[in-house]
Amino acid sequence: MHEDAIIKLEDVSTVYEGESRPAIKGVNLTLKRNELVYAVGPNASGKTTLLETINGLLPPFKGKVSVFGLDVQSDGQKIRCQIGYVPQDFMVKPGEPYTAIDVVLMGRYGQIGFLHHPEEKDKKKALESMKLLGIEELADRSMGKLSGGQQQKVMLARALAKNPRILLLDEPFSNLDPDSRGQIPSLITRLHEEKDLTTLIVTHDIHHMIDNCNRVIVVTNGKITFDGTPENALPLVENHPHTTSLGAKHR
Amino acid sequence: MIWLEFAIMQRALIACILAGFLMGLIGVFVVRMRLSAIGYSMSHGAFAGAALGVATATNPLVTGLLFASATAFVIGPIADKARLHADTITSIVFPLNMALAFVFLTLAPEVGLSSQVANVLWGSIISMTNADLVYLTTLFAGTLAIVYFVWKELFAIMFNRKLAEADGINTKPFIYLIIFLAGVVITFSLKLVGGLLIYALLFNPASTVLQFSENMRKVIVYSPLVGMTTTVSGLLVSLFFDLPIGSCIVIVSTIVFAIALLLSPKRRRKEV
Repeated sequence: MHEDAIIKLEDVSTVYEGESRPAIKGVNLTLKRNELVYAVGPNASGKTTLLETINGLLPPFKGKVSVFGLDVQSDGQKIRCQIGYVPQDFMVKPGEPYTAIDVVLMGRYGQIGFLHHPEEKDKKKALESMKLLGIEELADRSMGKLSGGQQQKVMLARALAKNPRILLLDEPFSNLDPDSRGQIPSLITRLHEEKDLTTLIVTHDIHHMIDNCNRVIVVTNGKITFDGTPENALPLVENHPHTTSLGAKHR
Repeated sequence: MIWLEFAIMQRALIACILAGFLMGLIGVFVVRMRLSAIGYSMSHGAFAGAALGVATATNPLVTGLLFASATAFVIGPIADKARLHADTITSIVFPLNMALAFVFLTLAPEVGLSSQVANVLWGSIISMTNADLVYLTTLFAGTLAIVYFVWKELFAIMFNRKLAEADGINTKPFIYLIIFLAGVVITFSLKLVGGLLIYALLFNPASTVLQFSENMRKVIVYSPLVGMTTTVSGLLVSLFFDLPIGSCIVIVSTIVFAIALLLSPKRRRKEV
């Protein structure tokens, strides 16, 4: 199988059920093996839709999405077993009956297979992922009792626990404290290199993109309006009200 | 315990234990997967089917099962195919099943408001036969086996369906499985509580245990035990006060839930 283009979108438009206006329209995008790409853009510009269209959670209205050379509509389940996905603003309410290690271990369920139960090696892998993010001591804590930043790290550990070939992260650093905001993006970049991953990260914080990648896409009104280096993207995102302050801070 | 010497009461007690356990178990999935509205529709589907059985002098269990299965099919795959929201389809199916049930119950004039009709409406544990117990035991074993083998998938879907999909689990068949299982368990438990009250037995035990536990594995163990305890307690209360068994079971399980609400550590502020 030709694996150079790991993710490929050809003229893809996605429309949410009950709506007539596409959330993304006519998107063409290719991510090659071991590419790390940051997606930036204003709120409701289609970044999350782009990620969910890639992993097949949202069916495209038009066009074709291929991952590992497979059609995401017909082979979505197989493909998603190899994608580490962190959704945007995912929070577990207090009192929910799940521990952090339960949530991380769930990341491996798709790979364990039907009618099989998690084994010791799966639990070990889940704990390793938590250790990597410095949250192993939270393993037996109730998920709903963790802070937003801790929950976000649990979700990252969950994405890493499945030994993914692709990482799709939707604003994965938004709730982290300043220390973690400095460390975790670098850790993701390091893991991306070490494990030969293909990674697409949605962010509002342009510090991360400047320091951690060499390709940026800007999504505006459902279209990719820029695809290039972070240095060239900077003036574009700086001019947007949402990212201006961050850009100024970066300078 | 003189009453226990009677075969009829022994059957009643065993039925209470089995049905209480099963309803408590399935209730966890129904509550956690937010299928409560679907639970109402399923219980009234089984009720309508049983009513048809009474009207046509057919075994209410068979017609109840047929109706419950048909309801599961309509609110599961067909509603998905038609892209109908769960609230929409259940809001249509629920009153339809009730309407059908009352039409069936008045279809045969000689049946009228006989004891058979009352059994379907309010439950009658004394009408439990040995065959009913065999069915319940088989269902008990089957349900436990299913839950054991697909626990991983059910656990992930109960946490978050979208994330389970993102992890490579095809969630639809498991949701349909729970809807169908709920229908079958409700049908076989109908004699215990009756069609109008049965859904309380589906929701109360799980909702009670969820007031305390922050560990889903404990919830799945304790909810059936609470279901079992409340049905047996309801049976004893009904015998003691000579009241309808279905009503007693529902009242006991509601009192247990109210006590759980008052004692729930999740609702208290703790000083650390």
